[in-house]
Amino acid sequence: MSMINIWNTPAGMKDWLPGEACARRELMNRLLEKMALWGYEEITTPVLEYYQVLQKGEGTAQEDHLYKLIDRNGSILALRPEMTTPIARIASSKLPGKPPWRLMYGAQVFRYEDIQAGRQREFGQAGVELIGQTGPEADSEILALAIDALKAVGLEQFTVSLGHMGILRGLLESLSGEEEQLNSVRSLVLEKDFVGLNQLMEQSGLEGKSKEELIGLLTRQLTPADLAGCLKNPPSEIQKALVDLQAITELLEIQGHGSHIHIDLSTLRNQEYYTGMVFEIYTSGIGYPIGGGGRYDRLLEVFGRELPATGFALGIERILMSAAKNRDPKNTILVAGKNPRTVLRDCRGLREKGNTVIAETRNITREEAQVMAQERGFELQWRE
Amino acid sequence: MEYKLTIALPKGKLFAPTVSLLARAGLNTLDLSDESRTLVFEDSQNRVRFIICRSTDIPTYVEYGAADLGIVGKDSIVEAGKNLYELVDLKYGYCRFVIAAPSKDVPQEGEYPWKQGLRVATKFPAIAREYLQKKGFQGEIIKLHGNVELAPRVGLSEVIVDLVSTGKTLRENDLSALDTISEATARLVVNRASYRLKSREINELVNKIRENLSQ
Repeated sequence: MSMINIWNTPAGMKDWLPGEACARRELMNRLLEKMALWGYEEITTPVLEYYQVLQKGEGTAQEDHLYKLIDRNGSILALRPEMTTPIARIASSKLPGKPPWRLMYGAQVFRYEDIQAGRQREFGQAGVELIGQTGPEADSEILALAIDALKAVGLEQFTVSLGHMGILRGLLESLSGEEEQLNSVRSLVLEKDFVGLNQLMEQSGLEGKSKEELIGLLTRQLTPADLAGCLKNPPSEIQKALVDLQAITELLEIQGHGSHIHIDLSTLRNQEYYTGMVFEIYTSGIGYPIGGGGRYDRLLEVFGRELPATGFALGIERILMSAAKNRDPKNTILVAGKNPRTVLRDCRGLREKGNTVIAETRNITREEAQVMAQERGFELQWRE
Repeated sequence: MEYKLTIALPKGKLFAPTVSLLARAGLNTLDLSDESRTLVFEDSQNRVRFIICRSTDIPTYVEYGAADLGIVGKDSIVEAGKNLYELVDLKYGYCRFVIAAPSKDVPQEGEYPWKQGLRVATKFPAIAREYLQKKGFQGEIIKLHGNVELAPRVGLSEVIVDLVSTGKTLRENDLSALDTISEATARLVVNRASYRLKSREINELVNKIRENLSQ
């Protein structure tokens, strides 16, 4: 066997060095502080759960992207790939009090899939879940909070693409086809393979006009004002979705967040648990969404309690990539001197005033201390 | 200069029809060449930048957002397995993936004698693997980087999976197509984020391209 270099980490796992680690924690803290201002309470769940539990959120169609292992009793365990399913499990089983609940989290999650830009196989997520409330009011709260949180960390240029799973459901309902065919429509729409979708629709049982309308809905970019125009004659499921979206965008306008919202009915999320509005957040320079979420009214009943819910998650590493430029360096004081006792005593006083202080207790000369302070960007205080 | 759009164009046989399509869509393509040393060109009037790369790399450039848009054969998209939005079928650059065997092994009537442990030489391992799985054949994929038709002649493999446009290479090497795996043409692909953030510019270009597709 070739020797594994003992400096390596597994693919997709990353060390966070000084500076990076600090920036990540600060970002996480600022996001959570903002969410707390909206009345959300922190919740944490185990990193390892039963595979059967986590799989409920993964859908059934393809292979899952979970890290799996087997415990000594033979049960299959998995690392959590996201936080919504564990939180749904808790809300269905042991959360005290009555809904609605406002919950938030900042956690590391694990996905065994191809490594993408700004996403390793272990990555951080900050997010919220609003459980037990239906309607556009709850959905608009989630969207407004996501926008608010991103602004709080200094991100200004971003777009929230808003769509609705009802559009896809309506599209599938209006098609007469076999199960297999409908599944391929579903995956073509999710993958935005509009060429393949066109080909498939040409072979399907739909008559010309409505087919073009439906594809148009999914491929055109709309403004909130365009929604009214769409409302006339689509199938009822789609009509309901459009009414819902219109109500959500109106409520966001009231809260002053209209400018970030971009209606794009081709925005759909892969997780099968989404039922209503869904969204993805994009910023320039990063080819992937930096966050996303939506309404999932059917997930909690899988765990035995019928409750509607809505929420979002933000990708910490991706936000870090876009917000990295805006960080100011921290001021650190280096206290050095001839007598370590004086140094230690003075450091204490400085720290009590809230300064970041390094006690230099090695026996070094003033010149050496000056060189060190200059190299590392510290402010030197010398004690004779 | 601040570019409105960056477009990745493929070297090779898709290059000429692609440039002519972009010219019809109103872009300045006079300087474009896939034979010069320069790999980056600009159309300063329309504030568009072109990058020229290997067609197999285009899905990667577009996926990571180094290019907003790309023009590339469906074959490269399928083999790369990248997360892209495929907006327009440009209709040119037709070719198909086939699985082929030496003509002498193909019976005049009836099925090709598929056997277990078949060896498949190909430049497209992902496509070959998927095909074998769909058909339920067990096989061994042998990845080559070119001239795949040589493999069965020297006993490296029983069959090949390759891209053909006219079928001339197959005939010249006494190979017969057993099955068409899929067909491919050039596609306009777009990065997920650009599709949202630059929707106006992209839609404008997409509409012009649609209007100017050869019938």
